[in-house]
Amino acid sequence: MAFNDIPHFNANPCFARRRDFLRRTGQGIGMLALANLLQENEVKAAPDLALNPLAPRQGNFPSKAKSVIWLFMNGGQSQVDTWDYKPALEKHDGQELKGFDKFTGFFSGEVGPLMKSPFKFEQKGKSGCWVPEIFPNMVDHVDDMAFIHSCFTETNNHSPALFQINTGFSRMGFPCVGSWVTYGLGSVSQNLPAFVVMYDTLGRGLPKGHASNWGAGFLPGIFQGTALNPQGQPIDNLSRLPHMNEKEQRNQLDLVTRLNRIHQEEAPHEAALAARIESFELAYRMQMSAPEAFDVDMEPERIRRMYGLDNKKCSHFARQALVARRLVERGSRFVQIYSGGMENERSWDGHRDIQGNHRQFAGETDQPIGALLTDLKQRGLLDSTLVICCGEFGRLPIVQKTKDKNFLGRDHNPHAFTTWMAGGGVKGGTHYGETDEVGFKAAVNRVGVNDLHATILHLLGIDHTKLTYRFNGRDFRLTDVAGNVVKEIIA
Amino acid sequence: MKKITTLSVFLFASFAIAGEADDFAFFESKVRPILIDHCYSCHAKDAKKIRGELLLDSKEGWMKGGESGQIIIPGNPEKSLFVKVLSYNDTIQMPPKGKLADKDIAILTEWVKRGAPDPRKGSAPAIAAKKIDYESAKKYWAWQPLKKVAPPKLKDQSWCKTPIDHFLKFNMEAKGITPNPIADKTKLIRRAHLDLLGIPPTPEEVETFLKDKSDDAYSRMVDRLLQNPHYGERWGRHWLDVARFAESHGYEQDYDRPNAYHYRDFVIKALNQDLPYDTFIKWQLAGDEYEPSNPLAMMATGFLAAGTHATQITASQAEKERYDELDDIVRTVGTTMLGLTIACARCHDHKFDPISATDYYRMASTFSTTVRSDYDLNLSTGNYAQEKAEFDAGKKKLEEARANWERDNLSAKLEAWVKAGAKDAPQSDFLFAEVKSAVAKNGTSLGILSNGIITATGKNPDFENYTITLHSNTNHVTALRLEALRDASLVKGGPGRAPNGNFALSDFKVTVNPFDSKKNLTTPQPVKLKSVRSSFDQKGLPASATIDKDKKSSWAIDPQFGKDHQVVYELEKALDLPHGAEWVITLDFNGNNQHNIGKLRVTFSSMDKPALAVTPVPEKTLAALEKLKAGQKLAASEITDLGMWYRTKDTDWQKLNKAVDDFIAKEPKPKMVKALISSEGVPAVRLHTQGADFYDPVHILKRGDLNQKVSVASIGFPQVLMKSSDAEKHWITKAPEGSKTSYRRKSLAEWITDTEQGAGMLLARVIVNRVWHYHFGRGIVATPSDFGVQGEKPSNPELLDWLASEFIHKGWKLKELHKLIMTSAAYMQSSSVDEPRLLKDRENNLVWHFQSRRLEAEIIRDSMLAVSGTLDATPFGPGTLDPNHKRRSIYFFVKRSKLIPMMMLFDAPDSLQDLALRPTTTIAPQALLMMNSSIVRGYADALAARVAKDAGESLEARIQRAYQLVLSRNAKSLELKEGIEFLKEQEGFYKADKKPESLALADFCQALFSLNEFVFLD
Repeated sequence: MAFNDIPHFNANPCFARRRDFLRRTGQGIGMLALANLLQENEVKAAPDLALNPLAPRQGNFPSKAKSVIWLFMNGGQSQVDTWDYKPALEKHDGQELKGFDKFTGFFSGEVGPLMKSPFKFEQKGKSGCWVPEIFPNMVDHVDDMAFIHSCFTETNNHSPALFQINTGFSRMGFPCVGSWVTYGLGSVSQNLPAFVVMYDTLGRGLPKGHASNWGAGFLPGIFQGTALNPQGQPIDNLSRLPHMNEKEQRNQLDLVTRLNRIHQEEAPHEAALAARIESFELAYRMQMSAPEAFDVDMEPERIRRMYGLDNKKCSHFARQALVARRLVERGSRFVQIYSGGMENERSWDGHRDIQGNHRQFAGETDQPIGALLTDLKQRGLLDSTLVICCGEFGRLPIVQKTKDKNFLGRDHNPHAFTTWMAGGGVKGGTHYGETDEVGFKAAVNRVGVNDLHATILHLLGIDHTKLTYRFNGRDFRLTDVAGNVVKEIIA
Repeated sequence: MKKITTLSVFLFASFAIAGEADDFAFFESKVRPILIDHCYSCHAKDAKKIRGELLLDSKEGWMKGGESGQIIIPGNPEKSLFVKVLSYNDTIQMPPKGKLADKDIAILTEWVKRGAPDPRKGSAPAIAAKKIDYESAKKYWAWQPLKKVAPPKLKDQSWCKTPIDHFLKFNMEAKGITPNPIADKTKLIRRAHLDLLGIPPTPEEVETFLKDKSDDAYSRMVDRLLQNPHYGERWGRHWLDVARFAESHGYEQDYDRPNAYHYRDFVIKALNQDLPYDTFIKWQLAGDEYEPSNPLAMMATGFLAAGTHATQITASQAEKERYDELDDIVRTVGTTMLGLTIACARCHDHKFDPISATDYYRMASTFSTTVRSDYDLNLSTGNYAQEKAEFDAGKKKLEEARANWERDNLSAKLEAWVKAGAKDAPQSDFLFAEVKSAVAKNGTSLGILSNGIITATGKNPDFENYTITLHSNTNHVTALRLEALRDASLVKGGPGRAPNGNFALSDFKVTVNPFDSKKNLTTPQPVKLKSVRSSFDQKGLPASATIDKDKKSSWAIDPQFGKDHQVVYELEKALDLPHGAEWVITLDFNGNNQHNIGKLRVTFSSMDKPALAVTPVPEKTLAALEKLKAGQKLAASEITDLGMWYRTKDTDWQKLNKAVDDFIAKEPKPKMVKALISSEGVPAVRLHTQGADFYDPVHILKRGDLNQKVSVASIGFPQVLMKSSDAEKHWITKAPEGSKTSYRRKSLAEWITDTEQGAGMLLARVIVNRVWHYHFGRGIVATPSDFGVQGEKPSNPELLDWLASEFIHKGWKLKELHKLIMTSAAYMQSSSVDEPRLLKDRENNLVWHFQSRRLEAEIIRDSMLAVSGTLDATPFGPGTLDPNHKRRSIYFFVKRSKLIPMMMLFDAPDSLQDLALRPTTTIAPQALLMMNSSIVRGYADALAARVAKDAGESLEARIQRAYQLVLSRNAKSLELKEGIEFLKEQEGFYKADKKPESLALADFCQALFSLNEFVFLD
């Protein structure tokens, strides 16, 4: 479908070699690595990266997953209150956690004893997965989900942890997973943004660290995430100027093309000029197709209800989940949705009241996520869509003790959190890795952020050691110098 | 005795042997299988990849230890890293795949406890931690001294204009390729303007240039452009790319750096003034050490401060964050100035270049005590000193006149007044007493002024307590008043010392100790305060909070800054103190960090409902009057006190005094400005940091891991760029006595600019190449920030060395370098290409044609502003986030979380790391912007209005004018035809609109902005 959209200049012998062209146009010496990767795999379509860096391309090996929807539980979901049920916590409720380093969480002065989960758990699905009462919809999908219970990260503070899970580095300034993936694979659709990010639309703020969480770092800027505007037009400059209709704009565009062609005759060898002419035609088409993709009102009533668009509690997240499905259906490569805004009560960051906080945010997300999985599955899209769900870290099994005895919250915990994935070639019903008895630290088959990233890339057909970008003298990778694929969760 | 000893040794030895057999069996049956199963895959000689330089498949292996040093201390499991890592409580956790079963851990622990008996005899070959061979490394071209080269001789030098062309043509001749002829003059003027100034020439400039037929017309045009102030704004932006310049901290909150723009202005000014490049570099590294009294040199240090900075640092993360921050500085200095990827050596020696981790940490130590600071700079010029001296002399004269009058007249007049009945004696609702002492608990310096006012200066601790002791003669006290007073030296005029001028007074407590008739103290007693009245209360922070029981609740005054504030405390019971009393007042500031009062006074009232804001009078003046009235004799000091008050009633004195006051009002003020700088011994910008600002000394870290400090890193420079390994002594300067800074950065700056023995030659090569890169679209070294082994090789090393030598020789002058390059045939040639030559040199390594390329984001926008006649050329000062502003794009405020969408669309940098090569992408959203953005449309509207005004009604004249403005040339006949047709059609479409004609013309102008020709440098 979208291949018709890609400009082809193969006829010109001067640019037969992409590698040369990349150099010549200053497209970025960094991308040479990608050109190598592609040559190695003898991609048949031979997209010209310099002319269209977002042209779709294959990874290193065949894969089921073509696109990603990442549901980000911002602020840090508590593993022991969600997907990592710990009966021992009930037994040890109120007891001191021996040997606990008070600097583990964010508040070193508010260290209390172990606290059991306030939620009831039941075993569900063929796989017998323990599910908390706050996920009445997701419960139907546990046999499609693969859980990694032994995830850990390296910092106890929101923004470095957000940077780490998104970019692999706790420091600012590195490309995020979505950027690496679109850099590696391009985008099936040329009429829609390849990498879309949606954050809280209720005015509760952006995740800590803001746009750097979906930034392209040193990769070319086109690979950065397009954050949809929370209100108004989702993307800038999508609608025609108010004084123009279609005919008038078409005429103007035709003039641009004609005048550009006159100029191009002087420099017939400058493929960049031709690419730019083509980009106006692409823009013209995007102007038509993108608003359609964002228009959830076009969905049947049944679907809208299933996601919860009529449910005040979750309609905001439901709308985003539905937009995500429409985007991957239409060929966007990577979609990330943040549940919750900034820290504390505006996100999953339940420092004061884990029960109230997690009940609220589960209420905002459970139905839409359940619906998204159902919807993807019934459309046959679940196989090609990798759904990922996690936060930037987990939470401590102990209570965050404050003067106010009514406050029963949990502080940050970098040592353990659970990630689940579904679809996209994932082995449903798997449980990989374990935390210790009380869910404090990942203990068995520990999975670091680099491992998580390596696994995501693998599911998309990319060898994480081969996806590199040359920047200031070094071939950078998403996984830096580490990363092991968690093969056990792959079907 | 001796025998026994021998015997016992023997006994023990035999015991040991017996035990050894057991232990070996234990090893073979229990320990070895665990090692094989869980450790050998990474720690055996035949492992695919040996990790951590550690072998566990022989006794010798573990005895040697690994990267982290000794791992087993036989007999002591607690101290053995080997055991610690098994517990998964250490930063290193082994095996990495998952914790061992408890029983296995118990076995290995037991083994170490037994003394780690190990029968394995195998050898452990040294795992080569590669040593860098500096002597052979120095043979690499980039670390070599500059070669003395002369321009080569050519077969045919007719094309050549400068020695540059000789170097290039020589290689072209060898490859049998011919360069292009010189481009036509319309192209040349547009090229030069866009390249040097970043805006196109005006039609008038084009016309003048075309008419100028003299030989040096082009060269004079280049000279003219180099004097144009837009030059600094265009080329300054290039430097800001590599300096990762931004005006916010990044990370969590991305707080603004409101004073960071001074660095941007420094760069622009330095370029416009043609500051020698070596000085440019020296100031950015250590301007505060070279020229502390030169504001421009101070502002230059903003370079070191420009990187990101975590704004929410927990105590446990602080040191790691600091090492990250040093890494940002070392990395940026390395790549930006030296094309050296030093930061690759943070975790281990550089994989490709001869830079050791030790080099890295020694260089990092240069900056160990350097912090970013918002610092007051005095921008006053030389005139100020002179004006101030004149002012001081004038003021002195007037003050003398007043003093003379007082000396000659005051006592007589006072006497006469008393004799006449002392009418109109001074009075006030409040009196001030003598301040005996004012002490602060946590380090604030409190000063006492003669009018009872207390000032707080120096350290401003987070929380503070002031204790003020007063001796008062007022014998009936109904109320106390606290004045918090404004002062120009405080932020926003105060009265608080908080970063916004506010204060938060949490408690006001009073104790009184009456004097007896002999002026002896009696018994101190607390004074109960009944009610409060205040001039202003910040919402939720009322003055009443200062006498409630809550120790944190406070009185504050945001947003009423820069005003005097008062609060009156009425006593629960009025006090009668016939002989006066000692009063002790305590003020507690517990409400908010650093919210202490900067200037205050406490006064007393005898009245029932004293007014709030009245000027108090001194008690002693009143006392003197009382004595006088009672016919008592006054002491000399009392006469003076009285006189001080009395003089204010005299019209002659008033005149003299007014002359002094009027004169003082005209005092020349130093021009002070706050700038974000980097220095040492200055208050650091802290934000929400729980840890220290810096950690001194810096340590060499193993694998970049804070938990593996190897040793203290002393200042040093990369060895490959020094004559010998300890040659750093050559540049290291001791800080002079009393210096706030360590002079380590100055030492670094001396080394980096030293062309004889230091890195100066590389410094020159790198900048010369950068300038070449920006002029030609591709450097002689195509990786301008990486001159290392991994970088591209120079396409013409002789030319590079020749340019660098010339550059140094001519005094590091960038403008001369521009001129040299821009007057070459290589630069002036046309951009046309053809297949035969492309096949020979597709990458244009030989520079046989000018490389046409898309302009940068800033230049596209600035050009639209310029040609539409709406550009506001005001330079310098704070930037803005407003996308509609009309100044040049370099004056956008660079907020890391709110980058300007239009700039980002056209590949502007994200300012997180230094960027030498901007990518050039072509994507549909760029086209959408040109088509649909109201901002671009605004430029098109303005251009259309300008065109209509300049060209009149004729469509042809309009199109010509638009072409001249936008593309610096006339429209060709085909273009004219297309344009006229379009204008007519569009006008027809808009028939129903009010102004179809101007809509159509604006549509046309907008179309011109969308043209390739407009956004390409050609």
